[in-house]
Amino acid sequence: MSIRPFYFIKESFKSFSKNWIISMAAITTVTLSLLVLGFFMLVAFTVNNWMNMTERKVEIVVFLNDGVPAESVQSLQSEIMSWNDDVRKVTYVSKDQALERLKKEFKGSDMLSMIEGNPLPASFEISLKDPAKADEIVKRLKGRSEIESIRHDKQTVERLINFTKMARWVGVIFAGLLAFAALVLIANAIRLAIYARRREIAIMRLVGASNWFIRWPFLLEGIIQGLVGAVIAIAILSVIRAAIEDNVKRLLAFLPTGLPSQSYWQLTFALVIAGIMIGAAGSALALRRFLRV
Amino acid sequence: MIKINNVTMKYKGAHSPAIKDINVDIDRGEFVFLVGPSGCGKSTFIRLLIRELIPTKGKIFIAGHDIANMRRGKVPQLRRNIGCVFQDYKLLPNKTAYENVAFALDVIGKPNRIIRAQVPEVLRLVGLEGKSESYPDELSGGEQQRVSIARAFVNRPAIILADEPTGNLDPATSGDIMSLFNKINRTGTTVLVATHDREMVDNMRKRVLALEGGTLIRDQQRGVYGYEE
Ligand SMILES: Nc1ncnc2c1ncn2[C@@H]1O[C@H](COP(=O)(O)OP(=O)(O)O)[C@@H](O)[C@H]1O
Ligand SMILES: [Mg+2]
Repeated sequence: MSIRPFYFIKESFKSFSKNWIISMAAITTVTLSLLVLGFFMLVAFTVNNWMNMTERKVEIVVFLNDGVPAESVQSLQSEIMSWNDDVRKVTYVSKDQALERLKKEFKGSDMLSMIEGNPLPASFEISLKDPAKADEIVKRLKGRSEIESIRHDKQTVERLINFTKMARWVGVIFAGLLAFAALVLIANAIRLAIYARRREIAIMRLVGASNWFIRWPFLLEGIIQGLVGAVIAIAILSVIRAAIEDNVKRLLAFLPTGLPSQSYWQLTFALVIAGIMIGAAGSALALRRFLRV
Repeated sequence: MIKINNVTMKYKGAHSPAIKDINVDIDRGEFVFLVGPSGCGKSTFIRLLIRELIPTKGKIFIAGHDIANMRRGKVPQLRRNIGCVFQDYKLLPNKTAYENVAFALDVIGKPNRIIRAQVPEVLRLVGLEGKSESYPDELSGGEQQRVSIARAFVNRPAIILADEPTGNLDPATSGDIMSLFNKINRTGTTVLVATHDREMVDNMRKRVLALEGGTLIRDQQRGVYGYEE
């Protein structure tokens, strides 16, 4: 079989110019679907990213009573460290270190001059391998005589986890529905293209053009529509991303916003592939139903 | 060249078969008429030979290949070896005579060099050398049918099948078209023409296969359209 890309591409564009309204509808739906998918994925990724950052920070702070003997502090630390299935790191912060930190954070403010002596407790800062385990760890530590109080960002972490889960699901479901609509629209556009060229197709079959020679232009047309839809979605998404990032940075200067560019490229790549798949599936559907070779 | 063994073809949902238990052998280089009244199964017969239809029973061999059990992917190769001509010409209206013929070579992947050599040659053969840039609607019915014959023959198939090729033409033009088939036949091509043009068949004295209600009722060398009437 001879494969002449130029012939196929020429045929695809010809057919597009004939059925451009339905083709535009198909492309727009692909764009919409991938935009929704991309947006929710972007949000999920970003939140995930925050979580990874916060995970690396402290999740549980255990404040110790004053006057606990050093050996008890040591043995408590070893015990916590021995839970190494869940615990990533335990850092001891002495009363002096705590004061140092406070001084650093409020450098230049005269608030510190009001503090007399050192009212700050010593503490353990525990970071976890899996933030979802925080509850369990807290339960294990509760009631110990050495411990004055325990603080952990349970709600924040849980909310973040739930939020990303939800963002993913909402994104996947919406995007899935839209992708299905896009697929049907592409199939319809291809059906019209097949119909417009039915005489040529009949003659091609008659003179023995190979099945793939007949199918290729239509498959290509669907793929191009999917691809164009994906590219538009990616362009819009990058604009949205830039706008959001700017605003978030301004509002929440301390948060590690944004995505590592690697994830962003992965997302872009995934959207391109998704666009191509929607296009190919749409054409395949039309070819199966309307092009018997 | 064409061997039809006990072939029966029943359309889906039809009460009786359109082709009933037919046996025919056609040798390389033969000229054969397929005659019979409208609805007797001539078109069905031809569509079976290009594997547009698959027989319900029996076997069909073309150049030794069992086409009823042929893989789908092999069908294009079969069709490249069979040229088809129809009553309604089936030309593409937005292409010139030259382009219509070239199209047939183009879509089976023939290089341009071959297309540029073969298309003018076949147009000359069918007597259209001055008309290659004309569009179908600028050509008479006879000329359009010549373009369609040129397209069927340009790839030098071993077999030409024609389904009522003169059905839309006046008797004089029909005669010209039949001579053209004769000329093609003399190059060694096997030709099968389905027709109910009695005069033509009687004049040419070729082998005649007569169908009636899907049954082969007569197979006669140097035959005529019908004995009676
Ligand atoms: N696609 C079809 N589906 C069902 N019956 C058909 C179909 N095509 C033809 N027939 C029937 O098969 C018989 C033979 O038709 P056909 O081969 O077209 O005859 P002819 O070409 O000799 O006029 C007729 O009875 C016709 O009604
Ligand atoms: Mg017929």
